[in-house]
Amino acid sequence: MSLSVTEKSYLHDSLCLDPPARPDGRVAHQLRPIEIFTDFLPACNGSAKISASDGSECVVSVKAKVVERALEEELILVDVDVAGQRDDSPFVHSIASLLTKVLNQKIHQKNLRLTQKYAFKLFVDVLVLSSKSHPLSLISFAVYSALKATYLPKLISSDDDLEVAELPTFHDYDMVKLDVDPPLLFTTAVIGNNAVIDPAHSESEVACSGILVTWSKGKVTAPIRTIGLNDEYVTGIDVTLLEKSIELVEKTAPAVVKALDGL
Amino acid sequence: MSADIITVVKREAGLHFANDLQFESDSDVEMSESEESNEKREAGEGSIVTPGELVTDDPIWMRGHGTYFLENQTFASVAGTVSRVNRLLSVVPLRGRYSPETGDHVIGRIAEIGNRRWRVDIGAKQHAVLMLGSVNLPGGVLRRKSESDELQMRNFLKEGDLLNAEVQSLYQDGSASLHTRSLKYGKLRNGVFLQVPSALIVRSKNHTHNLPGNVTIILGVNGFVWLRKTSDVDLSSGQNTVTGKNAATLSGAGRDYKPGNTSVSITRLEEESSWEIYSDKNDHISSSSRKTITRYSNVIKALAHCEIGITETRVVAGYEASMAYENISSLIEKDNMEALGQDVLNSEKMRGNNQPAAFETRA
Amino acid sequence: MSRLEIYSPEGLRLDGRRWNELRRFESSINTHPDAADGSSYLEQGNNKIITLVTGPQEPRLRSQASFSHASVSVNLNITKFSRMERSKASHRNERRVLEMQTALVRTFEKNVMLHLYPRTSIDIQVHVLQQDGGLMSSLINGITLALIDAGIAMYDYISSVSVGLYDTTPLLDMNSLEENAMSSVTLAVVGKSEKLSLLLVEDKIPLDRFESVLAIGIAGAHRVRELMDKELRRHGQKRLANASK
Repeated sequence: MSLSVTEKSYLHDSLCLDPPARPDGRVAHQLRPIEIFTDFLPACNGSAKISASDGSECVVSVKAKVVERALEEELILVDVDVAGQRDDSPFVHSIASLLTKVLNQKIHQKNLRLTQKYAFKLFVDVLVLSSKSHPLSLISFAVYSALKATYLPKLISSDDDLEVAELPTFHDYDMVKLDVDPPLLFTTAVIGNNAVIDPAHSESEVACSGILVTWSKGKVTAPIRTIGLNDEYVTGIDVTLLEKSIELVEKTAPAVVKALDGL
Repeated sequence: MSADIITVVKREAGLHFANDLQFESDSDVEMSESEESNEKREAGEGSIVTPGELVTDDPIWMRGHGTYFLENQTFASVAGTVSRVNRLLSVVPLRGRYSPETGDHVIGRIAEIGNRRWRVDIGAKQHAVLMLGSVNLPGGVLRRKSESDELQMRNFLKEGDLLNAEVQSLYQDGSASLHTRSLKYGKLRNGVFLQVPSALIVRSKNHTHNLPGNVTIILGVNGFVWLRKTSDVDLSSGQNTVTGKNAATLSGAGRDYKPGNTSVSITRLEEESSWEIYSDKNDHISSSSRKTITRYSNVIKALAHCEIGITETRVVAGYEASMAYENISSLIEKDNMEALGQDVLNSEKMRGNNQPAAFETRA
Repeated sequence: MSRLEIYSPEGLRLDGRRWNELRRFESSINTHPDAADGSSYLEQGNNKIITLVTGPQEPRLRSQASFSHASVSVNLNITKFSRMERSKASHRNERRVLEMQTALVRTFEKNVMLHLYPRTSIDIQVHVLQQDGGLMSSLINGITLALIDAGIAMYDYISSVSVGLYDTTPLLDMNSLEENAMSSVTLAVVGKSEKLSLLLVEDKIPLDRFESVLAIGIAGAHRVRELMDKELRRHGQKRLANASK
């Protein structure tokens, strides 16, 4: 759905004001309310469903598999499926590879280590049922919640199995909570001299550019990069706006982490 | 305070989806007891029926929408409420797309441009058609449409443009033909668009209202809503202007149709029919007007969230109630939206003018 | 490891049900009001299915449009994580999935009043979050609910259930363990009638037992219809109460 010229100019002018007047009245560092459900797929090690107030919705499943550590480079694999998009579309592909990369970087392999020889490999499957605005931020929140709600079987065999040809054995029903601190991805939209966090569809339509900021373990980290939010308005951005975006995320992220963990 | 930045509602165990789904039991389903009685009963006015249910076996009824006829019996084809008007029996679906009727004031978005016509998305099952001959063109109403007009259709209205129009007639297949041959209708500027379920908008004589705070609202029957800064045209076209506290009583009185008030003299019409009506430029809008528009927009979303029929009176009441929330952004929270909806309903009860709810009036 | 006892001499199945018991059946409609015209969420045993219906709407391609009736399309998305063991490849273009899509379109084309919506398309998206046997029947039930939620006119409910045949005993509404152990039939019934709108037999079934299989299947489908009807009325009452308060 494309907007009319007058709608766009109204939005653009509003967002360029100081402070920006967002179409739903949010302040620049305010996100939209979300609803999260966890642990609803008993056949998975972890699961989460997240829905935003605009009807965007995303389901994440985490499944674990025992692998030999020597044979696997990456212990986390993210697969993304966006309803209405082909599996091999560049959009879907870029989200999947970005998430795989970020998660592998920020989650230490030792958290998934099982024994000297074996480790868990996590398959994180993302299904985006519907998305009005850029889904990356929402996906990352869902992945965060799913990983935080992931339980893995408890190991009962010996840790030192380098010399023995023995597969790890697990307790029949005891599970251990996965202890990781997954990164969060935030998107901001840059319009004029302003940056706003978590842009809605209409805001994305008039944004000059989008900036992706990663938050991990209490601070902003790489990757930080631009993302295209629309085809029309994208222009180069001022460095000061990059700083503004990072400031926004620094202001917001601790509260988001607290809200995601706290409930 | 985390609540200022983001609200996260988190529930664990069980996928309790929307609408407080009740998981009553974990048990498997017994086959033995069947709760339904098999005796044939007739569904009375206003009762809920579901597809395949017998509505009546009395053949005197004419069968309207949402029903079908088989072996002298009338069955429901949708889930909804039974409506009996004179001899016409129909089932009003609980939910569904907007179905246009002649005379409806709607808002639409240009979807494509074709042979001497625009195709307009009005949220119905099919796009509506706006013929080149059904719009006012620059240079006066009585001017003939020429070939050059045909070539520059995109200069008048292009893909994505919003306009308000009236449903002129319906085609055989149920799709609508629109016209904008009045000053009330045409391209929309100076504001924001939002969409609510069409069932929440009640058909009335007038769908354009000037609201307190220098904002004009167009409540399209199709559930498309336009909020804009009040313009001189809005003020001069004799629409009842609602101001201040006693808005409800005022609008109640203003609801009576006064034909003399809305008509515009032909000379005026010609003056207005300049290129300006197809302009893509907004007027200057102050940041305080923008704030007011945003507040109205959030109020309407809150009403829609509570599934309350949206009328001008309620929008004004909601706006006044929303002043309790100094920060407009707190109105995107579910709890506040529900509280606001309750406030609107309560204030109505206090006044005693119980407006009919969306369902009944629509039926 | 002892062989699993599918049906014990005492008349109990693996999950403790008797031969004629359905699994837990929970449904809700209008779960995704902002994402689609009609939506439903269904749990039938361990099957968990989200169905979204959009339309009737302008067809995306003019060539899809028919002058006399609406066109129906079903997009079945069986997620990679839907089974116990995660599958590596996408199920999207598997022959089995394509076949199921075709069967679903055929089933609903006959029941929806397509002639009321000429030149439009009705698009059905089904997401299988988890599956545990009798998938086809759960898909049909989910789609029925979502179509009704979308306000699309249809002649009657289509309710569906699978039935297996263990030796001489028909077993109603099978889970995946049972499905793998014996031959089964999926049937879909129109409303309260005994008319079948779909009958899927993918294995051998002795003809002399077929009638008893169908009989319990039809009874089971009628029970499913009642459960769906109950949810719909509950939802309708709630909306009416909402509108008149």
